[in-house]
Amino acid sequence: MPTNKTDTHKNSDFQLDNRAQKPFFELESEPVALLSLESLAMDSLSFDSAAFEQQEFFIPLGNAEQPEETPQIELDGMAKPAHAVAVHNINGDEASRAVVQFQHANNLLESLEAQDVYVPYQCREGYCGSCRTQLVSGEVAYLQEPMAWINNDEILPCCCVPKTDLQLKLKG
Amino acid sequence: MTYQTFNRNEFNALEQPMFFGENVNVSRYDVQKYGIFEQLIEKQLSFFWRPEEVDLSNDRSDFSNLPEHEKHIFVSNLKYQTLLDSVQGRSPNVALLPIVSLPELETWIETWSFSETIHSRSYTHIIRNIVPNPGEIFDDIMHNEHIIARAESVTRYYDDLIEGVNNYNNFGVGTHSINGQEVVVDLRELKKKLYLTVASVNILEAIRFYVSFACSFAFAERAKMEGNAKVIKLIARDEALHLTSTQHMMQIFAQGKDDPEMAEIAQECEQEVIQMFTDAAQQEKDWADYLFKEGSMIGLNKEILCQYVEYITNQRMQAVNLPAPFTVKSNPLPWMDAWLVSDNVQVAPQESEISSYLVGAIDAEVDTEEFGEFSL
Repeated sequence: MPTNKTDTHKNSDFQLDNRAQKPFFELESEPVALLSLESLAMDSLSFDSAAFEQQEFFIPLGNAEQPEETPQIELDGMAKPAHAVAVHNINGDEASRAVVQFQHANNLLESLEAQDVYVPYQCREGYCGSCRTQLVSGEVAYLQEPMAWINNDEILPCCCVPKTDLQLKLKG
Repeated sequence: MTYQTFNRNEFNALEQPMFFGENVNVSRYDVQKYGIFEQLIEKQLSFFWRPEEVDLSNDRSDFSNLPEHEKHIFVSNLKYQTLLDSVQGRSPNVALLPIVSLPELETWIETWSFSETIHSRSYTHIIRNIVPNPGEIFDDIMHNEHIIARAESVTRYYDDLIEGVNNYNNFGVGTHSINGQEVVVDLRELKKKLYLTVASVNILEAIRFYVSFACSFAFAERAKMEGNAKVIKLIARDEALHLTSTQHMMQIFAQGKDDPEMAEIAQECEQEVIQMFTDAAQQEKDWADYLFKEGSMIGLNKEILCQYVEYITNQRMQAVNLPAPFTVKSNPLPWMDAWLVSDNVQVAPQESEISSYLVGAIDAEVDTEEFGEFSL
């Protein structure tokens, strides 16, 4: 790697211990309704919706998933649709949940990973079935036909994108 | 019910069950009852690779520099893998082909078995490259009591089904006296043997193999025996397909649309299959005990491998709609996922040794301007 001789960094830029590091991008608190999180009926999972609404959700407005050159839907300059994805049972804990946003990623699995939701995976091509996840509500579109066995209420995040807002429940 | 290599009966192949219907006559794929098996064949063919493509020259020096207890882990693991693929390279053909009734499934079984023979050849390739006398390792497979104990549990259901199918083909349904012994051939009993065999193959491909993969990749995580890990990666990619196929078979059986009797049998056998899974998990843990008897290696020891056995058993049982028996929630070997990704199996030759090429990737887009200089 070529070294930059006119290095403009000062020593102080690397002193992370003394001061809070500047975040790479600012997260803004979003009113929940904006991302139609209201539409995610959480009742089916005995979800305390009052507590849910009072909580502040930090959903990055920008490119959380780092868009690549081949986005999943080409809309001739139109903004890509954003879908809210509520994930239950993360970390194998029945009560734990996260809400992430799907917009730019190539598939749902990439999007979840980019936003720190761990889903087991193996082939990433839809034939091994490691990423099987329960779809509680919403609809997905498959980019390639999944080959692994999935039950009627399950999806393979490695080869699909959301068509609507989603509610997922990870395997225990 | 003698087996016919080309069944003269006329019948609609779409109305046949997967097994124990008419013997297949025309290998036709224009219409298919279960398209998934055709897709699996296509995928398996696109994965084709040869062991010799992987360069193992660095593994020889890596291996000779390993401490003795790690050599024991590596070689024992390799022996176990050799055993598993020796079984898988022939048993699906011998056991399932005489009773299969769908052309696409018949071809899938042949394609599946064939790919296992490539795995067997790759173990010889590995062993040849790391030790001066490969014979010692292969000979020990038949003498090592721990390996032989594994063979027994792996082949029991196969042998049981093969014996039953032989009697069925020779004598048909009924009570027969064979060599002075009374043998009852009952089709429902045979179907039960078939169901248990498919379950045991699923366990073999989905749990036993993955435990051995974990050991192979644990070496490569420390940048040791990397050529070997490259071979295992190609094998793991194939095994993911095979386990998908056995999961499909089990689910198709359980749904009962294919053969209503099979759905009853699947229900009947549920407890037995759960027991088979947990037994296999226990056998894998005992094996871990043998592997690490002389000491553990950096990154992997008996406890972690046992946790992985429990984790993978949970995963595989859930995949066939069985309850998960163990409490372990998260993957104790998170780096396994990355080793098992199929899309980074393909590497540019300048980045490392050539390990696999997708043959036949052609750019089919031709612009009309390309013909600008043509004249007739």
